[in-house]
Amino acid sequence: MSLTPSWNRFLLLPMLTAVVAGGCSEYNSSFVYSERTTSLIPEAQDGFKGESEAAPAISGVKQLVDDRFGNPQDLKAWLKLPVEFGGTQSAVAEYSAVEGVATVKFSVEEGKSLPETASSVHVVSGALAGETLLISNWDATTGQATLEGLPSKEISAGDSCVIDGGTVMQSGRVLYMRHCSHCHGTSGDGAGPTAQYLNPRPRDYRHGIFKFTSTTDVSKASRQDIKRVLQYGIPGTYMPSFLLLTDSEINSLVEYVRFLSLRGEYERKLVNELAGDFSQKAVATRTEGGESREAIVSELKEMLAADIVDAANSIGDGMAEDWSVSDTAEAVIVPTVARVPDSPESRRRGRELYLSKTLNCADCHGVDGAGNGPQTIAYEKNPITGEPYNEAGLHDVWDNLNQPRNLHRGIYRGGRRPIDLFARIHAGIKGSRMPSFKNTPHEDIWHVVNYVLSIPFEPEPGATGVAVAAPPAAAAVAP
Amino acid sequence: MKKFWALFFIFWPIVALYVCLVAPSRNWWFPSAPMSSVGHQIDGLFYLILIIVAVTFVGTQVGLGYALWKGATKKSGEKAVFSHGSHKLEIMWTIVPSFVLVFISLTQLEVLANIRVLARFPDEARKTPVAEVTARQFEWRIRYPKPGTQLSTEPQEGDLYFVNELHVPVSQPVMVHLRTQDVQHAFFAPKLRVKQDAVPGLVIPIWFEIEKAGEYELVCAELCGWGHYKMKARIIAESEESYLKYLAALETDQNEDGVADEAASASDEE
Repeated sequence: MSLTPSWNRFLLLPMLTAVVAGGCSEYNSSFVYSERTTSLIPEAQDGFKGESEAAPAISGVKQLVDDRFGNPQDLKAWLKLPVEFGGTQSAVAEYSAVEGVATVKFSVEEGKSLPETASSVHVVSGALAGETLLISNWDATTGQATLEGLPSKEISAGDSCVIDGGTVMQSGRVLYMRHCSHCHGTSGDGAGPTAQYLNPRPRDYRHGIFKFTSTTDVSKASRQDIKRVLQYGIPGTYMPSFLLLTDSEINSLVEYVRFLSLRGEYERKLVNELAGDFSQKAVATRTEGGESREAIVSELKEMLAADIVDAANSIGDGMAEDWSVSDTAEAVIVPTVARVPDSPESRRRGRELYLSKTLNCADCHGVDGAGNGPQTIAYEKNPITGEPYNEAGLHDVWDNLNQPRNLHRGIYRGGRRPIDLFARIHAGIKGSRMPSFKNTPHEDIWHVVNYVLSIPFEPEPGATGVAVAAPPAAAAVAP
Repeated sequence: MKKFWALFFIFWPIVALYVCLVAPSRNWWFPSAPMSSVGHQIDGLFYLILIIVAVTFVGTQVGLGYALWKGATKKSGEKAVFSHGSHKLEIMWTIVPSFVLVFISLTQLEVLANIRVLARFPDEARKTPVAEVTARQFEWRIRYPKPGTQLSTEPQEGDLYFVNELHVPVSQPVMVHLRTQDVQHAFFAPKLRVKQDAVPGLVIPIWFEIEKAGEYELVCAELCGWGHYKMKARIIAESEESYLKYLAALETDQNEDGVADEAASASDEE
C-alpha cells in the first residue's frame, strides 16, 4: 500500500497532535521491584484485598516496600533508618489564628537549632497529621512562622512536625536522576539505559553491598566511602569523578544512594523470608507433592498478616544498626602498625606471602600478578541456584564475571593510597571473590602492600637487569 | 517596494559596522579577556581578521545597496546599459583577495608556531613539563611527576595522581602532556584560549602561561560520547609557593597509611 501525497497531508495533523500531546504529558518514574520479588507467587507480591472490616487488606511484599520507601515522586522517610532525609524535627509551642492570619511558634529539642530559612512544615501528629503547610514568613531567631492561609483544622501545642522535611532527599533525587540514573537505574538496580554497554557493569545497590570501603569485612560502606567514590571516580571502570559538584550536592547524593541501597536490601530481606516456601518454583514443587494451592495461599495469608510484619520491623532494626555502626570510627580499619617502609626486603617478604599457602594470592592473581591464576579458568557454581556458570572464572554476588586484578596495570579501583590497599586486603572486596585477610598480621599485610605497589615497576618477565648492567655515566648523559 | 529592498541591503552593513565597533568593549566575542600570554596573540589575530572581514562585508554591501538604489530610482523610460565583463575588474578582485589571504596566513604563522611548535615553546616550560593530563570518558586524570623528578611518559614510582583538578604555577609558562585513554577528546580552557585535541596513541605537549591566579574551567571540546557535556575539570593557577604546598599535601595523602593520623593526634594530646 502506498500513500498518495494528499493522504500524507491528512495524516500529518493527527501525528503532530499525538506528538505534542504525548511529549507534554507528565512523566512518572517509579521504583521497580527486583526479579526475586516478581518470582514469588502473585499473592505474595500483591497481598490480599480487604473484603470486610473483619478481614482487612493484607499487604504483600510490594506494598510493604512502598509503605516504607514510596516512589521517586513520593519518597517516604522511614525515620528509623540512618539516612539524613533533611528537615528539622520540631514541635508546636504556640498557635494562634487572628483575623485570618495563622501564626505558629516552633520549638526544637535542646541542643538542636532552628533552620535559617523555612518554606514548609509537615505535620506529623495531631489533628492535621499528614498535611504539609506552607510558610510565608519565617523568623529564625524566635521560631515564629506565618502560614500561607488558614489551615483546615486547629493546630495545637505539642503537635510534632518537620520543618522543610525531605530537602536533602529531594535534591539528592534530582542530582541522582541527572547524573547517575542512566547507568545505575532509577531504583539503583544498575540497569539504567546505558548500563548494557558497560563492562564492568554499574553497581546494583540493592544488595546493600559496596565494593570499595574503608570499613571492616562485616561492615557496610560508610558515608565517607561513598563520598570518596563519587568525588574521585573509580579508575579502570566507567565510574567518572564528580569532583566539581559542591560538597552539599555530593552529600545529598550520598544520602539518596544510601536510601536506594536500604530500599533494595529491605526488599531483598523480605523476599528471603518468603522465597523458600512461596516462590512460584517452590509452590509448583509443593503442589506436585500433594499440597493444595488453597492451603498454601491461606498459609501465606496467615504469614503475611502476622509473622512478616514482625520480620519487617526486625529487618528495619537490623539494617538501621548495621548502617549506623558502619558509619562510626569503630568500623574503620586502622592498622595496628604503621606502614613498613618500602624496601627490597619488604617487597621480597611480600612476594613470599603472596605466593604462600596461607594467603594464596597467586591462586587468582597469578604467579606473576597478571590476574590469570588457575581460578580464572575453573568453572564455578552459582551459590544460589547451584547451577554451574556458563563461562569459566570467578563470579561476584551480582553474578558478573569477576576478573582478578592484573596488578601490573597500576590501576587501583579502590584508591592507590597504601591504606586503600591495606583495606582491600584486610576486608577483602565486598561482594566479590576477593576474601578478607583480617587474621593476617598487619605487618605482613604491609609487606604484601609494598610488593603489590611495586609490581607495575618490575622489569618484564624474562628481561635481564639492563638498568643494573648499564654504566652509571650513561644515565647522567641521557637528555 | 524597490526602494525598500535597496534600503534593506544598505541597513545591514550599518548594523554590522556598529556590532564590530562595539563588540570588543562589551566582550561579545569571548568569555572574558584573555588570561594567558598566548591568548592576547590569538585575540589579536581574531580582531585582525574581523577588521578585514568587516571592511569587505561593508564594502560589498555598500556596492550592492548603491546598485539597488540606482536601479530603484531609475526613470521608467531609461534604457539599461549592457556590459559583458571587465578584465581589469576581474584581475582586481582575484589579486586583492589573494593578497589578503596570503597576508593573513603569513601573519598567523608566528602565533601558530608559538602554540604548536615544540621548539618554539618557552625553554623553562619545555624542559620541565608539570603534569600529564589523560582524558577519559568522562573525566580528566592528572599525573604529576614525583616532586623533584622529571615527568616521564610512563608512570613512575612516586608519581602523584588526581582527577579533574590541575594545579599549575601562575605567571610562568607551563607545559602539560596531553593524552587520551579511549576516544578523541579536546583540552579546552576557554579563558586561556587553549584548545588541543587529544588523539589516541599520541602524547601531545601544550603550554600556556596563566597571568592571574585563580580557577579556570577546563572542558572537553570534541564530542566524545554521551557524557561529553559534563566532562569538566578546573585548572587552578596559584603562586609557586602554594603550588609546591599543594603537591606536598598530595604526596602526603597518597602515602596515607591510616595510622599517621592517630600518631599525630596522640602527640597533640601530650
